[in-house]
Amino acid sequence: MKISEPMLLKNRGNIGILLFFGVIIMPFAIAFLYALLYSFGLVGILNDGFTIAYWLTVLSAPQLGYSFLYSALIAAVSVIFSVGLSLFTVLYLKKALNKPFINFMLYMPLAIPGIVSAFFTYQLFARTGFFSRLSYQLGIITEAASFPDLINDQFAFGIILTFISLLAPFFILFYLNLYKNENLEALERVAISLGANPKLATLKVSLPILLKKSQTVVLLYFIFLLGAYEVPLILGQESPQMLSVLILQELRQFDLNKIPEGYTMAVIYTSVVSLITFFIFRSQKNKVIHG
Amino acid sequence: MHLEIEKISKSYGNEEVIKDLSLQLEANKTLSILGKSGCGKTTMLKIIAGLTKPDNGSIKMAGKDISDLSPEKRGIVYLYQEDLLFPHLNVFENIAFGLRIRKENEADINRKVNEMLLFLELEKQAQRMPHELSGGQRQRVSFGRAIIINPSILLLDEPFGSLDSGTRQRMQHLFKDMADKFQITSLLVTHDLKEAILMGDQIGFMKKGRLQVYNSRDEFINDPQTGVQSELHFWEGLKNEKTEQL
Repeated sequence: MKISEPMLLKNRGNIGILLFFGVIIMPFAIAFLYALLYSFGLVGILNDGFTIAYWLTVLSAPQLGYSFLYSALIAAVSVIFSVGLSLFTVLYLKKALNKPFINFMLYMPLAIPGIVSAFFTYQLFARTGFFSRLSYQLGIITEAASFPDLINDQFAFGIILTFISLLAPFFILFYLNLYKNENLEALERVAISLGANPKLATLKVSLPILLKKSQTVVLLYFIFLLGAYEVPLILGQESPQMLSVLILQELRQFDLNKIPEGYTMAVIYTSVVSLITFFIFRSQKNKVIHG
Repeated sequence: MHLEIEKISKSYGNEEVIKDLSLQLEANKTLSILGKSGCGKTTMLKIIAGLTKPDNGSIKMAGKDISDLSPEKRGIVYLYQEDLLFPHLNVFENIAFGLRIRKENEADINRKVNEMLLFLELEKQAQRMPHELSGGQRQRVSFGRAIIINPSILLLDEPFGSLDSGTRQRMQHLFKDMADKFQITSLLVTHDLKEAILMGDQIGFMKKGRLQVYNSRDEFINDPQTGVQSELHFWEGLKNEKTEQL
């Protein structure tokens, strides 16, 4: 029997959807359900039936709230600085970026894992690190303890710096491609032709278009940083901690009674992030429909 | 003379793209220039707009040398084949762009833009985004955006090239009306013979970087290199063939 081409395409589409559900949605849904049941005391070795005690404990303690706020602040500052730096680089230094060697160098940081970047930051900015030693050799400080605490500090300097070093190259490449694909050079020329000076053409045309076109990616990266683990684990302070570090710490407690609280935190975190993602994509979809 | 160009040349490496180009254009007139791809038409427009620097020669506007002025200070608007509307602004704001750059007051901006929208028959599309418009509507917005700032010269680089034949014809008529109403001085380059004849008060022909401006339409039609004669022969031949068949 001969199968028609549309039928083949339809079958391929169905297989794709099945694979997506099987490989991505199902494991996630099962894990979420397991965490939810654990948080209500319905599964787990020491649990003996439905309870909302863990939820009340987690929601009444300030730990999760602080951690959420702390993580959101770090993620927001990192994303804002990365986007700002990338936009400045692309809009004002684009000629240099188009040179093959520099263009190639931009791809290099993308291949460095977060954990390696975190170690680099540690080696450079810790009190026993490169800059501390250099400052000592130059006579700027008299002892290692005089070097400002830039690692495991309350302002998360090390974490933010590492995040920026990981994100900025990606955003530079992303904005460079957008600049070309959206024909911004020609649009800037039109703006100049209409009387704008080059600076104004960049501010009134290229900048708003790049920001508008990158909204979703910026928000997704914010969510990604909100749940980052390795970098805050190496460079973060004891308290407050970033969300993933806090949740994993709770889940690995020796006190088995604390594990359901870890699962409760995980459920709250997952629900909040999923809701944010849902609203982002819904607003994007509405924009496509209504322009 | 409103625009006077004297002996402009431009080379890229060993290739001379513009050779001793001179022209004069009266105010409120349209000079259409016919030429094939690669003859130097676009380079000539870019030099006039200030986007490309010529190797030598001068450009005068109303008697004033503007050769060293930056593009935004020349008051010349360059329109491309693509409409190049700003995708983040709606129709109203696209048309208002040049007025806002000039910091005109809000009441004047509203009045001028609404008048322009009415003239372009786009008043119902004022709040629409560029991607919601048809090709012809987009090109009309592009014209409106350029003309509203009352440019000293409008440079048109094959502005109807991307439109279908019906829309192209309507846009040609619209442009003629606009040029009359708003007293536009313009320089239009095209590779379409009919368009060059229809649109221009004066007609020029460009080949391998050299420009010849004709004193009359007849002179243009009678010059064999413009291609009008061979076009006429083709249609006459076709007509005779049909008559013989009958």
